Amino acid sequence: MIRSVRISPLCFLFGAAALWLAPLRGAPALPALWAPRVKSVVAVEYYTETESDRRPTIAYGTAVDNRGTIILPSSAVDARVPPKQLQQFKVYLPGDPTGYDGTYLGQDVFTGCHYVRADPKLAAQLTPVTAWAAPAGTPAPAMADEVWGIGLRNKDEDFAPYILVSHIAIVQSLPQRTAIAQQEVAGPGLPVFNRAGFLIGIAASSFGQTYLEFSRLERAGTPVMLVDLEESSAFVLADEIVPYFGRVPQNIYGRPLAWLGAYGLEPMDREVASFLRLSAQSGAVVSEVLEDSPAEKAGMKDHDIILAIDGQPLPRFRPYRIVTDYVEREIERRKPGDVMTLTVLRGSDRVELKAPLGEEPKLIREAERKYFERLGFTVREFVYGDAVARRIKTGEASGVVISYVKPNGPAAIAGAGVEDWVKEIDGVAVKSFSEAAARLAAIEADSGRGEFVLLVSHGSDTSILRVKLR
Amino acid sequence: MRAAGVSHGFNQLLDSVVRIDVREVAFDQGTRRFEASIGSGVLLSADGLVLTNAHVVGPRAIDINITLPNLERVEAKLVGWDHWTDLALVRLDHESVRRRGLKFAHAEFGDSDKLYPGETVYAVGTPYGLTRTVTRGIISNTSRYFEDDRGVDGYETGSFNTWLQTDAAINPGNSGGPLVIEDGKVMGVTSRGYLGANNLGFAIPANTAKRIVAGLVRDGAITRSYIGIVPRDLQDLESFYSLALNTGMLIDSVDPGSPAARGGLRGGDVLLAVDGRAVDGRFPEQLPPIQNLIASHPVGSALRLTIKRGGTSFETIVTTERLESTMGEEWALEHWGLSVRKVSRAYAREHQLPDASGVLVIGVRPGFPAEVAGLLPGDVVTRINQRPVGSLEVIKSAYAAYGVKPQPTLFEAERDRRVSLYILKP
Repeated sequence: MIRSVRISPLCFLFGAAALWLAPLRGAPALPALWAPRVKSVVAVEYYTETESDRRPTIAYGTAVDNRGTIILPSSAVDARVPPKQLQQFKVYLPGDPTGYDGTYLGQDVFTGCHYVRADPKLAAQLTPVTAWAAPAGTPAPAMADEVWGIGLRNKDEDFAPYILVSHIAIVQSLPQRTAIAQQEVAGPGLPVFNRAGFLIGIAASSFGQTYLEFSRLERAGTPVMLVDLEESSAFVLADEIVPYFGRVPQNIYGRPLAWLGAYGLEPMDREVASFLRLSAQSGAVVSEVLEDSPAEKAGMKDHDIILAIDGQPLPRFRPYRIVTDYVEREIERRKPGDVMTLTVLRGSDRVELKAPLGEEPKLIREAERKYFERLGFTVREFVYGDAVARRIKTGEASGVVISYVKPNGPAAIAGAGVEDWVKEIDGVAVKSFSEAAARLAAIEADSGRGEFVLLVSHGSDTSILRVKLR
Repeated sequence: MRAAGVSHGFNQLLDSVVRIDVREVAFDQGTRRFEASIGSGVLLSADGLVLTNAHVVGPRAIDINITLPNLERVEAKLVGWDHWTDLALVRLDHESVRRRGLKFAHAEFGDSDKLYPGETVYAVGTPYGLTRTVTRGIISNTSRYFEDDRGVDGYETGSFNTWLQTDAAINPGNSGGPLVIEDGKVMGVTSRGYLGANNLGFAIPANTAKRIVAGLVRDGAITRSYIGIVPRDLQDLESFYSLALNTGMLIDSVDPGSPAARGGLRGGDVLLAVDGRAVDGRFPEQLPPIQNLIASHPVGSALRLTIKRGGTSFETIVTTERLESTMGEEWALEHWGLSVRKVSRAYAREHQLPDASGVLVIGVRPGFPAEVAGLLPGDVVTRINQRPVGSLEVIKSAYAAYGVKPQPTLFEAERDRRVSLYILKP
């Protein structure tokens, strides 16, 4: 709300009418606010290049500085895709079919934003969204506030910009302060403004409206669910994201990444909390403490319940399951080397642990990989997460993992599957990725080769795959 | 060739085939339910032993009623079962038979090794409750390989025996009835058919049944040795392993933590001999006899295995354990609306659980405390009120305490390696 209106009890009816009209009288017309703010938004297109295909993806971005730095929402990139497969970034101005080159910079794990740097020619045409920052003392967005944002049409319409207007229905902690509007208020990743034109948030990606469509012909048929992915009805408040715009990743993997090594955090519901006499706060159960992790070194045990971080009890959230996101964000906000003090409940004892955070071990999306066209599969390096998933000691880690199997290719016909763990090639144990890659390359290059044999393990089963090359 | 009906032996056989009505308890869905089913069986002795399938009568049976060929009904008790071979043995209530002066014939086993493909056989039983139905067919295959790790009411079957395959019509209710030749000798126990197929029926060979019957009469159960290897036929892989044909059996995988794993075996090894006795696992139907050779040793036996790995051969000693099913004992805690099954060692290995403690949730009843708290089938309950659940007794005693004084009870359970807490409230 921009201005307050004093109402005397005597003219209540008249006052109510004044309240309704007040914002309209006080603020510039929306089209006048909208036009300059459109210069803060872009559309971004990129390709995901896999062994078998190239898939385009379109996302929306917001310019955050003068250097052409653009943030995309976390959903803009599939978290499982290795960043090296993300190619050919193009940045488009709303309403303009010219695509400018962009460079993918990586994801900031704390805000979840992906960063892209646009070509300087384009950067000069952008207005950083920080230009619309609200002055100090502006009241926090609240229920019933009128809010608006920008949406972008599809590529075939040159990403033409349009306006979306709504009101705030509720503001929640999820765990970031997030406003949920009555209708769609902006494209995911695009800014949201108040009636005065100040930046109040960035539209979240997971709040598209969903609709059920029932068939008129097939009366008992299953309805089709329609999800509006191009517009969002929720936005993370500016205070939760604007101060972190500067967390531009130093590399495409977003490292350094702080690591505790408490696996499988699970929330507790209200009933459990009150049973454990924790009615005013919440807790998170640690399913497993990972081998050689900072948590293990600090003395954390499986099934400990985290109650407080640096002396601050874990807050209660609605819904209660948000507490695990809260703990994870507390880790992600820190740097390797930072000391995290954790209070845990173990049985009926409270134990204080001091954990200097480590650097996250190499992730699956960072693993080296190599595709063998003639053999019909890709193998990748066996990383820490693979050892965790297979419940083995990291010391026993060897071999490689199949990350792609070409449909109907020789490996597929032999029964190879994605996530199969290759332990032996032709009866000889695989020690490292480079060794496996070299041996497979030799098999691939040997045109006289009729077959080769893999020993693979999947779940608790091991089997012999006989791959015929002719 | 004589017509079957004329043979004295065949007439005697007809007078020894019975109908079995079973009422059994089921613990799924968070409650205790009773189910009724019908099967067939064959009388084997003058003192009233009846042979049938394990999937007809098992430990969950509450009431077993036998209808004799003369239509007299008499109660029976389970002597023992063996789901691995899908065989069970029950005994007529001796007192009732004596008091009522009931008369019955009994059948005799033939030598199933002498069967040949194309030989005429008859299946006798109670398909769909139609008593004393005789169907005719031939032996389609004398040693069919068929394994199913959930095949007998969720229990494993087929690892230690091959099956007779026949095209004699077999329908639900035939189960447990005899497969006989023209002189009435029992050559097999009809067990199962392929659903949707035409006349692909399987029976347990009489020579397997003889052994199992003797063991069940003696001990009430069949105890087998386990080393933890999953075999696979070598078929066509001999050249890759540089082996002569008909030599050795491929070890496809080794159960984690099993005696074989501790003995250093791993998938891809080839088993050449057990205690110096060469094995030949070239074809699938040769695998069950090799498995049976290992299983027949007393539990705790030290087996000397000859193994070929790559270019080298070596020997290793593996000490057998008692073979267990992945299925554990079941129970229903009705006020909680919770059905549970003890986690067995085999289940823990298969699901890569750290150990075999805990009980598996197999059913919850909507609107009852377990379901309201959020427990789901597949969860493994590890602690109750912070006490480790090492056995079914722990959960039963917590339930008994709840029965005396209902109050919130804290459950800790794992689902896909994630540990959560639940409160079961009155």
